[in-house]
Amino acid sequence: MSFAVRNYLLLGLLVLGFGPVVVAQELPDTVHLAKATVTGTRAKEFASGIKVQMVDSATLARYSSATLGDLLRNETPIFIKSYGQGSLATTSFRGGSAGQTAILWNGFNIGSAMNGQLDLSLVPMQVADRVSVQYGGTSALWGSGAMGGTVLLDNVAAFSRGLDVDAGASIGSFGDQRQDAGIAYSTARWASSIKFFNASARNDFSYANTEVRGAPRQNQRNADLQQFGLLAENYFRINDRQHINLRIWYQNSERGIPPTLVQENSTARQQDETWRMTTEWQRTGETVQWNVRAGYFDEQLDWFAFSNAPGEFSHSQNLITEAEMKLKLKPGHAINAGINNTFAQAISAGYPDRPQQDRIALFASYQLNSKDGNSRNTFSARQEWMAGKAVPFTVSLGSDYDLSKTLTAKANVSKVYRVPTFNDLYWNPGGNPALLPESGYSGDIGLAAKWKPVRSKMVLSGEFTAFGRNVDNWIIWLPGPAYWSPQNIANVWSRGLEARGEVHTRVGNVDLKLGVMTSYVLSTSEEAKVANDVSVGKQLIYVPIYSGHADVAIVYKRISATYAMHYTGYRYTSTDNREFLEPFTLADASLSYAMRGGKSWRMEWLAQAFNLFYENYQAVQNRPMPMRNYQLGVRVLFNKPVRAVQVK
Amino acid sequence: MKANNIIQRKILLGLIALLVFASCVKDHPEEPTGTPPTISSGGVFITNEGNFQAGNATVSYYDIASGTSSEDLYAPANGTALGDVCQSMRLFNGKGYVVLNNSGKVVVVDPTTFVSTATITGFTSPRYLLPVSDNKAYVTDLYGNSIAVLDLGSNSITGHIPCPGWTEELALAEGKAFVTNKSRGYVYVINTAMDLLMDSIAVSHGSSSIVADANGKLWVACSGGSGTPPALYRIDPQPDSVEAVLPFPSTSDSPWRLTMNSTKDTLYYLNGDVFRMAIASAALPSSAFVAAAGRNFNAIGVEPQTGILYVADASDYVQRGTVYRYRPDGSVVNTFLAGTIPGGFVFN
Repeated sequence: MSFAVRNYLLLGLLVLGFGPVVVAQELPDTVHLAKATVTGTRAKEFASGIKVQMVDSATLARYSSATLGDLLRNETPIFIKSYGQGSLATTSFRGGSAGQTAILWNGFNIGSAMNGQLDLSLVPMQVADRVSVQYGGTSALWGSGAMGGTVLLDNVAAFSRGLDVDAGASIGSFGDQRQDAGIAYSTARWASSIKFFNASARNDFSYANTEVRGAPRQNQRNADLQQFGLLAENYFRINDRQHINLRIWYQNSERGIPPTLVQENSTARQQDETWRMTTEWQRTGETVQWNVRAGYFDEQLDWFAFSNAPGEFSHSQNLITEAEMKLKLKPGHAINAGINNTFAQAISAGYPDRPQQDRIALFASYQLNSKDGNSRNTFSARQEWMAGKAVPFTVSLGSDYDLSKTLTAKANVSKVYRVPTFNDLYWNPGGNPALLPESGYSGDIGLAAKWKPVRSKMVLSGEFTAFGRNVDNWIIWLPGPAYWSPQNIANVWSRGLEARGEVHTRVGNVDLKLGVMTSYVLSTSEEAKVANDVSVGKQLIYVPIYSGHADVAIVYKRISATYAMHYTGYRYTSTDNREFLEPFTLADASLSYAMRGGKSWRMEWLAQAFNLFYENYQAVQNRPMPMRNYQLGVRVLFNKPVRAVQVK
Repeated sequence: MKANNIIQRKILLGLIALLVFASCVKDHPEEPTGTPPTISSGGVFITNEGNFQAGNATVSYYDIASGTSSEDLYAPANGTALGDVCQSMRLFNGKGYVVLNNSGKVVVVDPTTFVSTATITGFTSPRYLLPVSDNKAYVTDLYGNSIAVLDLGSNSITGHIPCPGWTEELALAEGKAFVTNKSRGYVYVINTAMDLLMDSIAVSHGSSSIVADANGKLWVACSGGSGTPPALYRIDPQPDSVEAVLPFPSTSDSPWRLTMNSTKDTLYYLNGDVFRMAIASAALPSSAFVAAAGRNFNAIGVEPQTGILYVADASDYVQRGTVYRYRPDGSVVNTFLAGTIPGGFVFN
């Protein structure tokens, strides 16, 4: 199918999306557990004015055998810089760099201390029960890195469920096999679960090598992946006011690093091993709520440039401790205040002396809601010190205002910052200990609508947002005569428009959902970084100006089907914008069927096809991507309830 | 209530319209206008490294008489891109040998058309090529811990000479190949008849550049490290000994890209700025010939007929570089654009 035809299809979907159709509810057979959460006050109650996207459970279920990178690429406007199936995937959110998106697991920033990023291809969706995205600057809430946006991954406790067993397996194209199995037991007072997951893939897909004369078909080499891990969660209600929990996420991945289209061969390999452990205590009173939490994160990365190469090892440890208190002053007024300590150390070929970094932050938010609840406002401030030196004082102000039952206006302004990483500061040679944090301002204004016409089964919702952000002291690595070195030399202005629309409806026995999401992002360099720099006023590399998604979901009894199209526009690969990658449109489809065996058993089948129209595309230059491919999965869920136990 | 509904409906319709129009706007970048390559004699090839793994390495050409430049010779002549990281190029016996480091290959071209006639593969990470006889050449390697021996007749690798570390530029003198090494403190000496590593000359750590002067002596630039200072060395190729050492005052100095003028009595090198010294000089020059002044100088070359100095500025390394032409008195003749990260000049 030609590119033009596909674009019309996409356009057709957009228009159709707003045809006279009717409503919706959540897809049946989605797991609805009685869940009580311990975390998340700041994310929920002190985030007025911030655009938030919750990924619904039906969507999450479709990604149960996928990675966080897959989910964000298809369900959010975040551009995922993917180096290939199973290879490194990082974010560009609203025109920012990978380190400018904060990724939080249960409130802890899990970006690497060494490079400030998280490889999304190594985050299986089994590790989170809920995924939500906060758009725009939230440094005042979450600290360093929350500049373009924040991805929140949360696990939630399920009490009084009795015994739950959940096992899934999938097979896919290119030797892709994934398995997971979990067992959970909970009473009214405690809940424990452990989940194991395993994945392996050859990823030896075939592609046309357009960089070689005649564009011969080749099979991807050295792209295999093996991954296993576990997630253990324990929640305990000490009494009806106090909770405590402990979570452990271990993971080991080994993979080949495939050659680019312009490389004869690659035998490089990478091994990643991570331990992530968090614990939290919460006490909820009538007016005061206390939270104390600690997280320990150990990350080891071994890189082998070619077979038999001496490995390059790097190893970091992060210890994050945080205490916060929420105080309800009177209806509509609340204060949240806390202290965060982030201690990191790392050792690598670049910094064999194991440098350490200690950061302390004080943060506070004030919530002011009107009596009728129509106006919700938050003022937040954060002061962080890095090695005793103050980083820019950060404040934010955000408001939600209900114009009517249908319309809500949102606005926020925020100061944003990102501290330099270990690589930036300490890498020998080149590391620049004099680097300043990147800092800037970010603002959003938006209008959200949700409308259910009377005597209709239809629900329409939409959101339109305009944003702007200016970041100064943006860190860029430049090669010198002897080595590369990072400098605070770029100033970047990002601005854009985002639109989202959704229609839920019901026609006879069929539930229908149509959704569309578009984004327009300009992210331009504002100052010459060096001599002869013609990039001023030009778009940053790897930031698509246009992107869009459209999807349709149909549910009929136990069957559900989805079809989605994803468009990614031109991305420049040179700062003078003379070199670029072609736009691409990907179409995916899924079909699922749920079976029940009495009250206790359930079985879910899911068949998916990706890149239906054989789009030959690259997310990153010269990194081939697979053509049409498939995945078939099955999941079995068993539950045996316990007799309800009263909590005293 | 009714009016309110209508307003809401209008707002929703407005949102829809915006969505639809937003997806219609054209965002096609300007296509670069390619000039057909013309390769006259009396010009200079500029090897442009391009970005690691981007495959945007090119060889540009600057025609001295007309002052015109072609950004990319290879792609228009061959229909495909040259490869990944163009490290160096050598003209020999009417052929051009272009070394593509991260592609792991040497592309042989006809230097009058730049049409590829052969591709030599089997390297680990090739850097520089040196013909040592009519049909034999050596290729140094970043990771291979060896030097590849090429048969220029069959365009294939016939053997390897074990040599530790990251071997870089190399030069021929007295029937021997002298090989610099970026990860060791030696210049290695190879007997080119036997293809054997015969000797090593202790120098500062991290030698990268080597050229022969009018007296047949070899000059070597070292970046220093492992307790040794950055320095220029003058080596007597017979009998493999250091004749003179000119150390730099600071460990942050890093001399590289040694280049001789056509009479081989004047040496140029980069150390942030461009420096010029007479080979008879007993001391390093105290001031720069061309100050970088914020520019990222990445390569130099000397036009044989005129002595005009070519200096390449790589700018931010992710866009086209600029080449400056300087008269021997230090004034600028003109500038022109090359490709991404210009890294070497080969005069035709």
